[in-house]
Amino acid sequence: MALFAELRRRNVLKVALLYIVASWLTLWFVRHTGETIGLPVWAETVVVILLAIGLPVALFFAWAYEITPSGLRKAVDVDQTQSIVYKTGQKLNAAVCVLLVLGALALLGERFMPTFEFPAVPVFGPPEGDPPSRVKTPPDIRSLNLDNGLKVIVWPDQDIPNVVMYTFVRAGARNERPSLTGLSHFFEHMMFLGTDKRAPGEFDTIMEAAGGANNAYTSSDVTVYQDWFPRSALETIFELEGDRFENMAPYPEYVETERQVVFSERRSSIDANNFWRLHEQMYATAFVAHPYQFSVIGWPSDIEAWTQEDLESFFETYYAPNNRVVIITGDVTTREAFKLADKHFAPAKAAEPPPPVRAVEPEQQGERRIVVEAAAQTPLLHLAFHSGRAADPETLPMSLLLSILTDGDSSRLHRLLVEEEGIAVSVGAWQDEGFDPGLTYFYLTLPPDGDYSAVEQRVLEELQRVADDGVSESELVKARNVMLADYWRTLATIDGKAWALGRYEVFHGSYEKLFSLPDRVGSVTLQDLQAVAAKVFRANNMTVGVLRAPAAEEEE
Amino acid sequence: MLRRPGCLLGLYFAVAGAWAQGVTLPDATRIELDNGAVLILSEKHDVPLIGVEAVIRGGAVADPEDRGGLANLLANVMEKGAGDRDAGQFADAIDSVGAALSARANLEVIRVSGEFMSRDADLMIELLGDMLRRPRLDARESVKLRDRQINQIRAAKDGDPRSLMSIYGNAFLFADHPYGTPQIGSEESLARIRHGDLTRYYRDHVGADRLIVAVVGDFEAGAMAEKLRAAFEDWEPANAPLPDVEAAEPVSGRRVLLIDKPGSTQSYFWVGNIGIAINYAQRAEFDIADTLFGGRMTSLLQSELRTKAGLTYGAGTRVRRPSRPGSIAISSFTKTDTTTTAIDLALDLLEKMRAEGFDEETIASGKNYILGLFPQRLETGAQLAAQFAELEAYGLDDSHINAYGDAIASADGETIQGVITSAYPAADNLVFVILGDAQAIREDVAKYGPVTEMSMTEPRFRPPPDESTVAAD
Repeated sequence: MALFAELRRRNVLKVALLYIVASWLTLWFVRHTGETIGLPVWAETVVVILLAIGLPVALFFAWAYEITPSGLRKAVDVDQTQSIVYKTGQKLNAAVCVLLVLGALALLGERFMPTFEFPAVPVFGPPEGDPPSRVKTPPDIRSLNLDNGLKVIVWPDQDIPNVVMYTFVRAGARNERPSLTGLSHFFEHMMFLGTDKRAPGEFDTIMEAAGGANNAYTSSDVTVYQDWFPRSALETIFELEGDRFENMAPYPEYVETERQVVFSERRSSIDANNFWRLHEQMYATAFVAHPYQFSVIGWPSDIEAWTQEDLESFFETYYAPNNRVVIITGDVTTREAFKLADKHFAPAKAAEPPPPVRAVEPEQQGERRIVVEAAAQTPLLHLAFHSGRAADPETLPMSLLLSILTDGDSSRLHRLLVEEEGIAVSVGAWQDEGFDPGLTYFYLTLPPDGDYSAVEQRVLEELQRVADDGVSESELVKARNVMLADYWRTLATIDGKAWALGRYEVFHGSYEKLFSLPDRVGSVTLQDLQAVAAKVFRANNMTVGVLRAPAAEEEE
Repeated sequence: MLRRPGCLLGLYFAVAGAWAQGVTLPDATRIELDNGAVLILSEKHDVPLIGVEAVIRGGAVADPEDRGGLANLLANVMEKGAGDRDAGQFADAIDSVGAALSARANLEVIRVSGEFMSRDADLMIELLGDMLRRPRLDARESVKLRDRQINQIRAAKDGDPRSLMSIYGNAFLFADHPYGTPQIGSEESLARIRHGDLTRYYRDHVGADRLIVAVVGDFEAGAMAEKLRAAFEDWEPANAPLPDVEAAEPVSGRRVLLIDKPGSTQSYFWVGNIGIAINYAQRAEFDIADTLFGGRMTSLLQSELRTKAGLTYGAGTRVRRPSRPGSIAISSFTKTDTTTTAIDLALDLLEKMRAEGFDEETIASGKNYILGLFPQRLETGAQLAAQFAELEAYGLDDSHINAYGDAIASADGETIQGVITSAYPAADNLVFVILGDAQAIREDVAKYGPVTEMSMTEPRFRPPPDESTVAAD
């Protein structure tokens, strides 16, 4: 007890308390400003070690030395009757309190201050309205390049206590070849079914028990894995994802079961669905050299035939960290996300970059036509034109043009074909935005007795009209507003943020480009729209497809 | 000088704890106008958007018996011109500012959902007011839209049957009860609708006493309240009383509807009975059970039918919870020659769950899953507006959401087991709706009970009464 009393008298305990509080504040400061001032991820660890070494030193000095009116003296040399340790103790108390209040304010501020305020809304007013204002890259989005080539991008957003993680793998139907079509999509299924460490099914069981959900999708260009989870599951998800991308192992018996699952998916999504039935044939017709001709889900013969070796080599070739990008948005700090990425994603080994897709679709030499016969009450008409890749300058004008043609009840084609002439039940369009030049695609549903030749003629007339005369200024303003509103709608959720960042990083070369979209939309001109229409909407560049009931049935 | 800085820290951790739950509604202002209309407003400033949900209580249950789809058609016709704008001008006004504003009927409400940039609030509130109070209900537009909707149903029948199974299922289960009427109507019922039906429904069932407007987003609440008040305070109430629906009796025994889609390579099924209502007292316990049985990737149905057996791409439950008990069903699909294998397995799993329930570890996992993902359901202004409007429409208070997290966390295994046996039907009391190649599966599915058969191309979602071969149990 005497020792304890002396510890108290010499203010050692107070110094210890002060030291701990000051350390906590220092760490907090490092964690929150480290990114801004560009400290490396390991800096935090170094600070912890230094602070830990400092503690015994500070305590030793507190014990051995004492502050006196004439300066610092060894405690044993101080005359006890002249000691001012009590006063020093009071000062120490005050210091502890001040630091605690600072700390509490910092924490409260962190909770209640929005971490990022969006700048003023860019406005596309009526035609003569203000020019758009600038939207800058939000300052707290940061990215990290691991040594193995994996890029991790983090957008902290504390609006809800949840986190979203997207993993973009640069592998899709585009990387396939005849007899191995559908392999990327099948592989996406296998990624949930076992690793060297975990039995099939455990990935989902662990994730769902931690409060997370997941999904994935495959396109012609990429395979994307999505996780949605509460903040509390952060480390669990990093660990699960790190494990499967490093140690994925296709269990043979599950390969067979999953083959049946994918067949079931194909039967429902393609075979029983006239729209996708025609769509699959359209791509197979429009492309002759480029692998965009392959059905993403795969041709039936290939679903039946792929082997264990195909899966293993696909993983080796396409799933290395240097072929992936990870996006994390939500209730997470960049620092903790980077630390977890470093811990769980860094061990995976980089691999040789996958072989490039060398195929270039040659110029089409005349229009192509197909008919698909299927039980159908309502015939379908699809028109496809070769157009550009995501990163091409024509992509944005084409998006705006398609919006003018088919977005909403006031769009040109809807108004004319559906509302005024009643010759179509619905009309829509999209533009492929991939690594390589894709299609601009129109799809129409016709009434049961619809005349698809007549409707095709009307669509082509309207497309020609755009190529000849362009669109009006007010239509362009409308299309800009639709795109701007979509932009904000996407950024209203952490899921939308993750998707948008990933798409821009992967297809446009940098996530920062996302934030210049409002500016870029504002600078597209009427001439740009007319030019892209003239370039793309040509008969020789077109594939037309019709899905209708077999002729025999029609006669009945 | 604070003597005990610890208190401040304590306060911080208490606040942080409440945040971590994340399952609470934001503060909102509720204003009831003299004419009965209710306004709910909540500010949210993370993006420059506003979400609005206007609800007219009534909905498809107020459709005349032979004119299913009337409320939904009316909702869509209300978009076709209102106030000073004709159909084209109205569409142009919405599209020009990149906004969304669309109406449709659900079983018990007509919903108008909108999302727009905050700078366009004046215009959009004007359009919303016009649409609800001054729709033109133009006869030509109505007929055009009706005929297009009939063709859209035909087109849907040419598409993936998954999207239609609940419509066929509810129509067969509820039969003549209002909950059996497809909200979108059928080819046949839509064809019967005349312009006079639309104006009559509008007069009888659309008015201020039925209106709830919830707005959440980037606005100043006081100013927004004034806009809405000005838009709706002098509106008249609807003419007719709010339709009251009686609870349907659960089906006892089994019956089967076989829908023929010749040449189909796959069979789709929906197997169910009457379930629970929106105000079901043990909602938390039910949600846990339903998550574990058919509501997630590792659910009993999905893991057994898909992951282990490879019978299907997807299996799960479909639960509809209106003001009176709705339907609860198992739904999945499989290749034609495993039709009964998959259905039998689903029935075994239903019985297994009713007999054994779930162990503690599984229940804990289900709770985490529900709690973990809940915040993402109430993330945007539009989601929150829809939630506020739904609570008001069904007479539920904030505790429906705010106490939900605690109710999930504190649910115990015994209560969950009780809920399972009372809310889920026993396997011998079920309605089976099976869609596929009838020629190939007709004999096999007869084992489930008396079979009624219809073709997918028939212009309706249930067999006509005179052709029914069902014997009452």
